[in-house]
Amino acid sequence: MTFRLLSPLGLLILLMATLAMIYLLAPILVVVIAPFGDTGYLAFPPQGFTLRWYEAAFSDGRYLAAFMLSFQLAAITAVISSALGVGAAYAITRHSFFGAKALEAFFLSPLILPTLVMAVALTMYLSHSGLPVGTWRLVAAHTILCIPYVIRIVLPLLQRFDRSLEEAALSLGATPLHSFFLVLVPVIRPAVVAGAAMAFITSFDEVVLALFLSVPGATTLPVMIYSSVQLGFEPLVAAVAGILVCMTAVVMVLFHFFGLRTRG
Amino acid sequence: MRSAAPVVNHKAVRGRSTSLVVVLLLAPSVALYTVFFVWPQIALLILGFKDKGGAFTLDLYLKFLSDPYYLRLLWRTLLMGFATTLITVLFGVPLAYLLARMRSRWAVFLLILTTFPLLVSAVVRSFGWMVLLYRNGFVSDLLQWLYITDGPTQLMYTLPGTIIALAQVLLPIMVLSLYAVFRSIPADLELAAMSLRASPAVALWLVTLKLAKGGLYSGSLLVFSMAISSFATPSLVGGPRAAVMATSIYDLTMTVLDWNFAAVQATILFVTVLTLAVIYGRLLNRQGGVQ
Repeated sequence: MTFRLLSPLGLLILLMATLAMIYLLAPILVVVIAPFGDTGYLAFPPQGFTLRWYEAAFSDGRYLAAFMLSFQLAAITAVISSALGVGAAYAITRHSFFGAKALEAFFLSPLILPTLVMAVALTMYLSHSGLPVGTWRLVAAHTILCIPYVIRIVLPLLQRFDRSLEEAALSLGATPLHSFFLVLVPVIRPAVVAGAAMAFITSFDEVVLALFLSVPGATTLPVMIYSSVQLGFEPLVAAVAGILVCMTAVVMVLFHFFGLRTRG
Repeated sequence: MRSAAPVVNHKAVRGRSTSLVVVLLLAPSVALYTVFFVWPQIALLILGFKDKGGAFTLDLYLKFLSDPYYLRLLWRTLLMGFATTLITVLFGVPLAYLLARMRSRWAVFLLILTTFPLLVSAVVRSFGWMVLLYRNGFVSDLLQWLYITDGPTQLMYTLPGTIIALAQVLLPIMVLSLYAVFRSIPADLELAAMSLRASPAVALWLVTLKLAKGGLYSGSLLVFSMAISSFATPSLVGGPRAAVMATSIYDLTMTVLDWNFAAVQATILFVTVLTLAVIYGRLLNRQGGVQ
């Protein structure tokens, strides 16, 4: 700090920053803490103490099914979007043909488009398209949503990548495919993992596309929570959300622990 | 031992096979984008200019821009965007500044804590706000305890409640935008100003905040455009009584099934966000030019 924290200005900044931190974390803590309350309804601060809502949340088949669906969706989306995203990023950087910049802008364009607008357009388009109904629609939509993240994380690393390494491999008789997997992949692996993780989280948490495109009977966890919350404040739903928050926290700590940051 | 000839051959083969590899690498994603992203978007754009019979019309756009109900909807949406941005600036500047200037190892921990809410679904965070904002809820009690209000306050299903929740959802974005900028401004500049007898407040105002202006603008544009197009929080916390464009578009698409008018509103929202994005890009370029 360039000035003392115990000056009036320092205290003001400290106060505002503290309030900001409380403001940021309050609703998340509420979701975790409120289900411990031993009242039949959600209250904060909670009264009494019980574990029954958390127990109920863990054993509720509907939420478990929704969780499994969200997990599968996120995993498939992560795999497809990182494969396609890495491929596209590789094509953009390795070959500086005219329009590489335009191609990059094209692939990043879903970042600008509001998810809601994308969801509306897809809903209308798919209803006329005659394509079969199914969760694959959501996979396609989430993949488009996640490819830009993968490209944004992987592209800088690919651009920094020393091409002479690859040329060395090629001149030593490796096929382009061999050199890709033996030389390039080890270099970009951390970025690919970070990109895939980003895609997983984005897809898992995503609610708007899921709300518009999910098939009746196969709802994702965020949509399930969204619908239940609209009907009423069930402590059970809060417990499900609380578990989700704790799992996210664990994953984040693990990520940090293993040094997998998104800014590769 | 390898002779020279095969190496030359390799190069020739490589030239051809790499262009094939480019096509093969790009084909799946280009196909996916074209079929499920570009084409639906074009279809949406066209749909807004069609009447029920399919003939070209501007009536739906005129309807949106002349009906007081929809103008109020637009106004509420923009108001929500402005107020949300203002709150994120108010809290984001001190927090980002402190995080950027902290020298202890707590700084990393606090930065992680700041970004953590980004990983939690907006649905879950909005749910937390619903519990807090409900009539007789915690915030209502707090306001009474602080003698700001006399009786219980209902913030659920109101625009102010939506703004409070939405600003929290988007605050990490503002903090991250500002954090990067504050980090790039050397603290020595503040010290220099203070050695020239500027008070800390003046040094902060004249040096740091002036230099961080670009980051402040770009962060604000980002938060504003995300605020006006976000759906989960306005829908859950605001509900039908505090309808904004995002919730209106959802209703038109999924319940009213007036797709032409939904397309009009979605296009207006998209064009607004796109305009902001272009300005944002210009700002970032200018920042890059200065550095």
